[in-house]
Amino acid sequence: MRNILIYSDNTDYACELLTAAHTIAGEIGYGVTALTINNDDQAEKLALRCGTIYRIRDEAILMADAAAVALVISEVAKKKNAPVVLLSSNRRGKEISGRLAHLTHGGCLTDVSGMTIDNGRLCCRRNTLGGATVVTQAIESDHKVIAVVPKVYDTMEEGEKGAITDIAVEAELSVIKVVEVMPKVKDSVDIEAAEVLVVVGQGMGSRDDLPIVEILAGHLKGAVACTKPVATDKRWLSEERIVGLSGRKCKPDLALLLGVSGQVQFVVGIRDAKTIISVNTDENAPIMTMSDYRMVADMKSVVPELVRAIERL
Amino acid sequence: MDFTLSKEQLLIRNTARDFAEKYIEPLVRRIEDENDVPRQIIDRMAELELFGIQFAEEWGGSDGGYDGYVLAMEQIARVSSGVSMILSVNGLGLGAICTYGTKEQKEKYMEPGLTGELLASFAFTEPGTGSDPRQITTMAIREGDSYVINGTKRFISNANFHGPIVVFARESESDEVTAFIVDKFCAGYSISEAWDKIGLKGNRIVDVYLKNVRIPAENMLGKVGRGFNILLSGIAYGKIGISSTYLGITLRAYEEAVKYAMEKKHRGQSIAKFQAMQLRVGELAIKLEAARWLTYRLGCLANNVKDPMTFAREAALTKSFVCENAVDVTRVAVDIHGSYGVMSDYKVQSLYRDAIIGPQIEGVGDMQKMIVAGTILRE
Amino acid sequence: MNIIVAMKQVPDLHHIRIRNREPVLDDIPMVLGDIDKSALAAAVELKETTQGRVIIMSAGNRKIRDTVKEALAAGGDEAILIEDDDLADEDSSVIAGVLAAAIQRIGDVGIVVFGEGSADNYSGRVFSAVAAILGYPQVGYAKRIELNDSLARVTRSLEDSDEIIEVPLPAVISVVSEIKEPRIPSVKNILKARKKPTAVYHLNELCVEVPAEKNITTISNLAPVSRRKGIVITSVDELAKILKNDRKPDRQAQ
Repeated sequence: MRNILIYSDNTDYACELLTAAHTIAGEIGYGVTALTINNDDQAEKLALRCGTIYRIRDEAILMADAAAVALVISEVAKKKNAPVVLLSSNRRGKEISGRLAHLTHGGCLTDVSGMTIDNGRLCCRRNTLGGATVVTQAIESDHKVIAVVPKVYDTMEEGEKGAITDIAVEAELSVIKVVEVMPKVKDSVDIEAAEVLVVVGQGMGSRDDLPIVEILAGHLKGAVACTKPVATDKRWLSEERIVGLSGRKCKPDLALLLGVSGQVQFVVGIRDAKTIISVNTDENAPIMTMSDYRMVADMKSVVPELVRAIERL
Repeated sequence: MDFTLSKEQLLIRNTARDFAEKYIEPLVRRIEDENDVPRQIIDRMAELELFGIQFAEEWGGSDGGYDGYVLAMEQIARVSSGVSMILSVNGLGLGAICTYGTKEQKEKYMEPGLTGELLASFAFTEPGTGSDPRQITTMAIREGDSYVINGTKRFISNANFHGPIVVFARESESDEVTAFIVDKFCAGYSISEAWDKIGLKGNRIVDVYLKNVRIPAENMLGKVGRGFNILLSGIAYGKIGISSTYLGITLRAYEEAVKYAMEKKHRGQSIAKFQAMQLRVGELAIKLEAARWLTYRLGCLANNVKDPMTFAREAALTKSFVCENAVDVTRVAVDIHGSYGVMSDYKVQSLYRDAIIGPQIEGVGDMQKMIVAGTILRE
Repeated sequence: MNIIVAMKQVPDLHHIRIRNREPVLDDIPMVLGDIDKSALAAAVELKETTQGRVIIMSAGNRKIRDTVKEALAAGGDEAILIEDDDLADEDSSVIAGVLAAAIQRIGDVGIVVFGEGSADNYSGRVFSAVAAILGYPQVGYAKRIELNDSLARVTRSLEDSDEIIEVPLPAVISVVSEIKEPRIPSVKNILKARKKPTAVYHLNELCVEVPAEKNITTISNLAPVSRRKGIVITSVDELAKILKNDRKPDRQAQ
């Protein structure tokens, strides 16, 4: 049987890739298999969700060396009859994908946000032209490498009882050397995980408006995020709070957009929200046509009133 | 005849546009409110060599010609006419020094003037006179190897910055109008509060008081009695800067009007579908192109001036047309916006205020027409 | 040492309009993407510390000659272009093959720098494919690069950590936009750029075969349709109620 092989350095993303793989595996009659490299914990977690897990334990494989990791994956894919490899489209995954595609002579797409089988062809959707359009492309080659955007697919539910098989591949000695790893000082707020997002744009005239926005977000049990200029030009919030093409792609249940005009580069990061509410002084702002609810008003006066109104309810 | 821009010209235009959008636009509100241009903008313009486009490399310029200068100025004025006027006036003062100055004068002023370290001014107008040199009352009295200057100059740009100011005064021995270079903020130099004008915010204009300002005689610019020629030539070149500024204002008004017409809905329908709007947008496009090509042409002509009188005429007709045209264009752009057009949240109201000033400064409209007519009805 | 910066000309995204969900790309000016410009700015800075030479490399249609002048004005010393009107539609693996073939013609290669993704497509695939073809080591997502004669010390910016990596030269490195702000070229440099050397290759000169069968075919490219309710709110109380209530039924329905 031919297989889809999934791999990510990130366990959460690997669990999502299983879901992604299952959306196409049945139709093309492929099995779903997973690979872990030097990550026993990930192997255990995947074993609750996937039938076949190949586990590699080999400290010679340097995760920082995308070339080495790509080589390992290509060897496993070859041995285990997996012409389709799904990776996560995070930085590690994207770096591996181009190299892996070269090794397998396969067609490769990254930043894929959806897959379908159309007349036996595997079709992928991805944003292009800076997010202005969504392109649907078919990978025609037999071998395929697809990097899937994190958080597009839900985590695979537990259920399957998987078998972990240890395998070994010949690893190449890495020429690159990791000198130091420094964890990033994380913003305590993870806007991708938030169910409610209050997003401020350039319509917020001053940094002084931020505390009341934080209070509002607190009342809504949500997080505060922003458009790019608010973080990069004004530096009122950290860059981890940026929603959009060059920031995070979020899909909260509810997004309250305050003074956000709705440029394409921003919209890419929020258009998967279930409900969008916009407050903007400009009734012609592009965001207004993309909102479930829209209110023409100045956020500066709306937010304090809104905080009081919610407190009353 | 080929009306296409070279790749280098396009790059100069794009660079100026990128610069203006990235570094001026975020500060436009502040420039408007404070009627002042933050120093960082001037430094950044100097870094990109925007002060020296039209000047020769020999004097620290970039040899981009007046055509390159016009393209850059248009884009800067599109974002802030106040900023472009600072460039324009600096070019006017340095231009006079570069054309009429001695080697020593050029060495002293050109380089610092092109790196933004010094900003030049050009001072002719006085409280009692507009454009008539015979009415000048500022006196430069010869005392040995120096001149002592007394007088008041009105509506002077860049006078709040350090740098050279070209002062027109009556030379005591000949009683003829003569140009002198004075270092601003030397002993005896002082300025008034800025005039509170309705537009061109950021371009401060003040009155300059010269009280027993003593300068060495070698600071005379050109020869005794040649002041009027320097003035005529200076203001002719100055009209390139002001025409480009008003072209930028015209361009922005056009862009704002088109944007609004495309976005604004009336009863669920885009107002761009209404013929009344279409006629207005068409009119704006026509007027923008006319202003643009007259101004570009003036830039090209300035690169190679054979007859100063002919050039003065071209400069006068261009300035006259572009400035009056800008009043029409911004007015129509306001009309397209309806009531929103006069609200301070909308750029178009400030463009309209800028535009009204144009025909009244650097030679009023009627004066320009007289210069043009003078070259036709000579016999 | 030669520092090669691979740059891609892309349609100016600010000028793209959508008509009947289709992007209108006719007459849109071609520009270099901002991340590519950051890569160039980083390369120019490295050149200043290593006395190297910055070579701009780009493949694209005939507009590329004009587009690349901006990069020459912003600090590139020379440009090597692969000009072919059909290249724009090609898959990233073909582009990678073309760039790699051109790089092989240059001696003394220190590093090859890419932006982490092109401004239009953002796939970031070409970088690692070029490294694979050349057999060079690669480091992606650099936010800092230091160079000496034989080694690059690279700070790689991952989602949750930074890694300091040492990689022997020649190496292929992709950079994130934080590495350096794009340089706005000065007027003098713009005017000098026209005198900088530009070599233009055509595909057949590079002996790169473009496969007849494409690995990737595009089926459609459309603006997404937004299906939103579009309800107008006029008071803050109304807004408060919606915020309180709208989420609940939605969440129960799941």
